[in-house]
Amino acid sequence: MMTTDRLVQQLAARLEPVEPLRSPGRRTATFMLGATLYVALLTLVIARPGAAGRGADLAILIPQLVALAASLLVVHAAFASVVPGHERPTLVWAALAVVAWVGALAVTSLGTSAARGTVLAAGHELWCVAVILLGGAPLVAVLAAMLRRGAPLHPIRTATLSAVAAGSLANVAACIWAPHQSGPTAFVWHGGAILLLVLACAAGAPLVLTWRAARRAPGEPTRS
Amino acid sequence: MSATDRPIDALGILMRAAQRGDAAAYTELLKSITPRIRRVVLRERAFAGLAAVDDLVQDVLLSVHAVRATYDSARPFEPWLLAIVRNRLADGARRYARTGAREISWDHTDDVTFAASETNEETAELGDARALRAAVRALPDGQREAIELLKLEELSLKEAAAVSGTSVGALKVATHRALHALRRALAMKR
Repeated sequence: MMTTDRLVQQLAARLEPVEPLRSPGRRTATFMLGATLYVALLTLVIARPGAAGRGADLAILIPQLVALAASLLVVHAAFASVVPGHERPTLVWAALAVVAWVGALAVTSLGTSAARGTVLAAGHELWCVAVILLGGAPLVAVLAAMLRRGAPLHPIRTATLSAVAAGSLANVAACIWAPHQSGPTAFVWHGGAILLLVLACAAGAPLVLTWRAARRAPGEPTRS
Repeated sequence: MSATDRPIDALGILMRAAQRGDAAAYTELLKSITPRIRRVVLRERAFAGLAAVDDLVQDVLLSVHAVRATYDSARPFEPWLLAIVRNRLADGARRYARTGAREISWDHTDDVTFAASETNEETAELGDARALRAAVRALPDGQREAIELLKLEELSLKEAAAVSGTSVGALKVATHRALHALRRALAMKR
């Protein structure tokens, strides 16, 4: 059996310089800058006639700004969750932001009424689901690549935060893309799509954010 | 001042030097934190045997090594280290719960034997050592390394994975293929 002293010697012998990870705040700023540009581009590419007018409508714009603010705090919490000893306050802020965002959506949904059958039969919302899932997937992939440079302390929590952030960003594009038939319809379908993204990411997290992957990160020497 | 009494901030300075590639500082850091980690592990896992404690300490050291880039020199070192220790301890407990629940203790090994007849022969002939050495040399790099670490140096899978920088799964696969190749090579010589 290997002794601890021998392991220490081997680790020191394998030591290579590493670039310290930038702070979660700076990484969040970098990601959000790129993500905002991506969402703007996605919206432009898929926008239907009248999207610009809908984007200027405060009733649509304000929830999107809340979604962007929530995703900012959630992304920050995700980056902080892979830095040991750094996550508690950021997690609280992220939770509050998500509650505020979902609350805002729920309040706007309650303002309009829709029969249960109408909500579930809103076929056009399937496109919104596709926009959120397919539009959110590249954001999740970028986040996963960035998060793998950190410590996989809580893979499922980190993945859930990433999925919520990516889903809320893609949701912005979906909301500006086409008018919704009713508030409850958007709430159910968009919320369902984000939940699906969260479940998929949480299921995949133990395979992607692992200590084994961290130990085999780029720059780690291998004996061949 | 002994290495283990070193103030926490000094450990942060050592880690910063280690991030720049200073192996001496890194050795000093790891030697300083090992007793601290051991104390935490012993406090949290008082029921664990010495081997299990050593296993957990080494797991923490490997994890510290893997994520050393996440240490921010502007922040204190101790919370960073303790977060890793707590996480690895929790993972260790989960692993123990998963495997321990399925394990059955078995102490009566005197009368245990194996199905294959050749494993039960007390007068089995030794094989051709030279042929075996040549066959090992002829293996691809990854397979040869797996055999050398696991079968010749008799390291555990975890230790061999740490030394080779590969995963336990990859080592198992490489060993399986290497044994298969060796068996084939030696059979052809007979």
